Amino acid sequence: MRGLKTTLVDFSICHYKLVLLGMGLLALLAAAFLPLAVMDTDPENMLETNEPARVFHNGTKRDFALSDVIVVGVINDHDPDGVFNPETLAHIYELTEFARTLRWPSEEDPGQSAGVIEADVVAPSVVDHMSQGGPGVIRFDWLMPEPPTTRAEAHAVRDRALSNPLLAGHMVSDDGKALCIYLPLTDKLVSYRVYTALQERIAELDGAEAYHIAGLPVAEAAIGVEMFSQMATASPLAMVAILTLLLLFFRKWVLIVVPMIIATVSILAAMGLMIALGFPVHILSSMLPIFLMSIAMVDSVHVLSEFFDVYTPEKGRRQTIKEVMNTLFVPMLYTSLTTAAGFLSLTLAPIPPARIFGAFLCIGVMIAWLYTILFVPAYIMLVPERLLRRFGLSAQQGERQTWLTRVLRALGGLTHKHAKLVLAGLAVVIVLAIWGVTQIRVNDNYARRFVVGHPIRDADIALNEHFRSIYTAYVVLEGQAPGKPTRSDIDRLEQDLVRHAGQMAGEYPQAPALAKQLTGDLARLAGTGETYDGFLATVIESIQTRSIHASDEAFEAWQELEGFFALEREKLKTFKRPDVLEYVAGLQAHMEQAGFVGRSQSVADVVRKVNQELIDGRPENYRIPAAVPGVAECYMQYQQSHRPHDLWHLVTPDFQRATVWMQFANGDSQSTKAAVKALDDYLRTHTPPVPLQHNWAGLHYINLVLEGRLVWGFLWSFFGSFLVVFVMMSFLFRSPLWGLLCMAPLTVTLIAIYGATGLIGKDYDLPIAVLSALSIGMAVDFAIHFLQRSRVSYQRTGSWKATLPKMFGEPARAISRNVLVIAIGFLPLLTAPLVPYKTTGLMLFAILTFSGVVTLLALPAVLTVAEGVFFAKIERPAAVPAEQPQAASQV
Amino acid sequence: MKMSLFIAVLSLGMSLASIAAADSNGLTVEEIVQKANHMALYQGRDGTGKVTMVITDRQGRTRQRQFNMLRKDDGDADQDQKYYVFFQRPADVRKMVFMVHKHAALTQDDDRWLYMPGLDLVKRIAASDKRTSFVGSDFLYEDISGRNPAEDTHEMVRMTDDYYVIRNVPKQPKTVEFAYYLAHIDRATLLPRKLEYFTKGDRLYRVVESSEIQSITAKENGKTVTYPTVTKSIARDLENGSTSEMTFSRVRYNVGLKESLFTERYLRRPPREAIR
Repeated sequence: MRGLKTTLVDFSICHYKLVLLGMGLLALLAAAFLPLAVMDTDPENMLETNEPARVFHNGTKRDFALSDVIVVGVINDHDPDGVFNPETLAHIYELTEFARTLRWPSEEDPGQSAGVIEADVVAPSVVDHMSQGGPGVIRFDWLMPEPPTTRAEAHAVRDRALSNPLLAGHMVSDDGKALCIYLPLTDKLVSYRVYTALQERIAELDGAEAYHIAGLPVAEAAIGVEMFSQMATASPLAMVAILTLLLLFFRKWVLIVVPMIIATVSILAAMGLMIALGFPVHILSSMLPIFLMSIAMVDSVHVLSEFFDVYTPEKGRRQTIKEVMNTLFVPMLYTSLTTAAGFLSLTLAPIPPARIFGAFLCIGVMIAWLYTILFVPAYIMLVPERLLRRFGLSAQQGERQTWLTRVLRALGGLTHKHAKLVLAGLAVVIVLAIWGVTQIRVNDNYARRFVVGHPIRDADIALNEHFRSIYTAYVVLEGQAPGKPTRSDIDRLEQDLVRHAGQMAGEYPQAPALAKQLTGDLARLAGTGETYDGFLATVIESIQTRSIHASDEAFEAWQELEGFFALEREKLKTFKRPDVLEYVAGLQAHMEQAGFVGRSQSVADVVRKVNQELIDGRPENYRIPAAVPGVAECYMQYQQSHRPHDLWHLVTPDFQRATVWMQFANGDSQSTKAAVKALDDYLRTHTPPVPLQHNWAGLHYINLVLEGRLVWGFLWSFFGSFLVVFVMMSFLFRSPLWGLLCMAPLTVTLIAIYGATGLIGKDYDLPIAVLSALSIGMAVDFAIHFLQRSRVSYQRTGSWKATLPKMFGEPARAISRNVLVIAIGFLPLLTAPLVPYKTTGLMLFAILTFSGVVTLLALPAVLTVAEGVFFAKIERPAAVPAEQPQAASQV
Repeated sequence: MKMSLFIAVLSLGMSLASIAAADSNGLTVEEIVQKANHMALYQGRDGTGKVTMVITDRQGRTRQRQFNMLRKDDGDADQDQKYYVFFQRPADVRKMVFMVHKHAALTQDDDRWLYMPGLDLVKRIAASDKRTSFVGSDFLYEDISGRNPAEDTHEMVRMTDDYYVIRNVPKQPKTVEFAYYLAHIDRATLLPRKLEYFTKGDRLYRVVESSEIQSITAKENGKTVTYPTVTKSIARDLENGSTSEMTFSRVRYNVGLKESLFTERYLRRPPREAIR
């Protein structure tokens, strides 16, 4: 250790110009990469790329051609008819006409265009309407071919929309006050362009109705914007706040310039390095600057403060700085290492952006430490001697009676006189807090990342008032193709074939005889294929061979028999089976009626609606047809529309997989969790007619997977962090007992703060989870300082009673200032318009402040009560061994 | 007149007579369009054929359709026509029938019927427009029965060595989803070979192309004649990457289909001509 220390410090003093130049160049080099920063706001990236839930989600998006969608919500609360008045509908029509043309040449893919997928837009003027056109007549129309000119026509549009279960509650709110236009995008990268274009067009409409633009692509783009604004405003604010505090404490610009420089270059280096290595800036890593701001400053403040205390002109600056660095090297190393270790523990978290954040925070802290060691001595060598002299003198003037000094002195007395009471009080806090911790509700909600008043959050709130559901997750149900036919399969098939042939004997007299030819052959053919479907295909081939030279009459009979087998093949397609569709409809009804989802849709709704309209439009015919051909005819008619591809968002073309759109009334991951469990229960207690696999997809579900990571993943990194810091403390104090004592204040603090979040009902979400692990390394610093200096002081005084007043003099003041600098440095995050930033700022302020207070309360109280236990091995007044780590700062 | 229904089906047919006309150089745009329409939709007095359709989506997933078509013209003036479509595949819509009485007059909507054996229903269809998907494919109903030339204005955009390129702009833009379409009409045969549909933003989003033409021999008034017939046609939806290909086989002209086949009572009992 000594070798490293001496080498670094000597090098800095001897080659201070080179050091300054080198540091400057390094910072500039790293900063050069900053403009290359890419914002990553994709919530999917919270999970590993190979995370099964994510892989399945993307596979589902591909297989069902599900796009990212911008939602334009239109709400009219002023008109008694809501949005269904001629003026609002005319605006909606115009806006749709405008929106559907939003296409630009693709930046990603030259030759292609990017923008709104016109064919998949959902709006009144571009969706179909099936209705009765009189007895025996079915009508196919656009739902709203043209904006209506009278109120009556506008009512008709509303009634048409609400008569379609695929549109009611989705495109049109049940109360008719609100309507959503859905604009699927070829690529979410164009979302900002589409958003801006829509905003401009909406401004021109000048209607009485309110417009809200929502949807995940918009939210993501907005988060990106807010991340920039946070970095551009909160970090400089933090710098101003900290400088103001330092100026208040020290009143010396010459001292304050140094921490500012160190913080700036550390931030530039860490951010630059992260970007240079190709990592995008995520919502977490966008907080790197503000984290490093206060942390990077602390060490240099310690050094300078100590320097000016010790400095005398006789000793000279070279000798003084060597002494100072000798004193502070080890404590600074330890506090930096513990802070870095706390951050590094985030790399144990199962969330990639948290790992990047932790890793580069750790790097940033160590860069700041290195810069402090190298830069501060070099800086001292640059400062004119006369400035040093004046400063040194002023530093000698002794303690002034400030309010801080008085408060701390009283606090010290309290911990000694009422040590047991203080400890009992803390015990009560802990018990309460532990109960609070058990009340914690793990929950994440993407929309609530925006503050109330932000357009995105307002859209969320406004649309929620009118719609049962604006958040979609997909349940993917999958049927399995049956394997080789069994003996009983063949028996059943033979019976059915014979019966079928008998039924058509009137029309095709040869059919029974031909069927008999086949039945003898079925068992043999069954042996040749691997699957039931393959077997049926073989039978059909065999029929075609037999019928090729048949007479007209025989040919027709053969065709009938071929039709029988071909239909058997279609019956194998899971989502053409009436019983399966009934099952899906039942499942949806259960989920809706039990309140797990606000609304759902699937092919069961499509088939029922088409069946109803094909028959006579009466409500009782809103049902699944009894046989496969009926279902197939419904599918066929549904597709004979302007939008044949709509069906493929609900089922795959082989009819083996289907999505059930589960739409939630709120964005809470807790709601999704309850729905997932309810679905599992339903599938377990209600046996489907054929085996069905199920799985969830959709970003809304991804959010739930993320929530699952938040608890155990971060507990793991919390314990990792705790263990590493504990081991380091035990090593520093050469005693596990002291190591444990050192961990006590932050342990109490974290239990108390997390207990408080449980008690006040603040959801345990990503930022809160991250902070638990993160704050250990920062909060432990106060205890390190306190205990280290207590031990040193005890060696001089020989009793805790005599040590205590000294501790509540300068050391306590130093710790208090340290607490204030770091804690207040995070408060500017409260100005950011995203809730996770506010949470982080407030939580860190609370954790650091509380931890500082607990350090000054609990540690002296414990040492008062258990002096014998802790100081038994500490040497009474005697010479301090040369290499014993020395007192920490003299801030 | 003397044209094939399958050409008609695809709007891509052409007659020998019109080849001569095209060569004569004296054709106006309207004449080219009229002749192309005539060739595309009205060869022969009637016709039958078997259609296999393969619909392939962007991901390469395919679906098949198979149906027989019967066509009969009313008179020789390229006016009204009757169509009868009998489905064979997929097996679960087997025996479904789609029948149309097409009216050339713009003021008169086509009469359409649908027979669905699975639901045991015969329905008449009233539709606001003809630009809906034909059996879930990328072909539209209007691709099958032909778009009436009177619905568009026509303008020669350019003349290449092989094609007249004609720009067709709808007279009533609100009734269609395209802003205009370009028809590439073969100068030699007057067969439309390619139709390109553009959005209002001038973006090409849909292409219908004839990729195979065969000469079909038939009897006309006792003489042997040859009808160039489109036997393979492809519709591409460029927006979602879906493609539909129709292949025609067993094409026969002037088979003498009875008028009565194209009536409601044959929906539930398809004629033999439709089955085999």
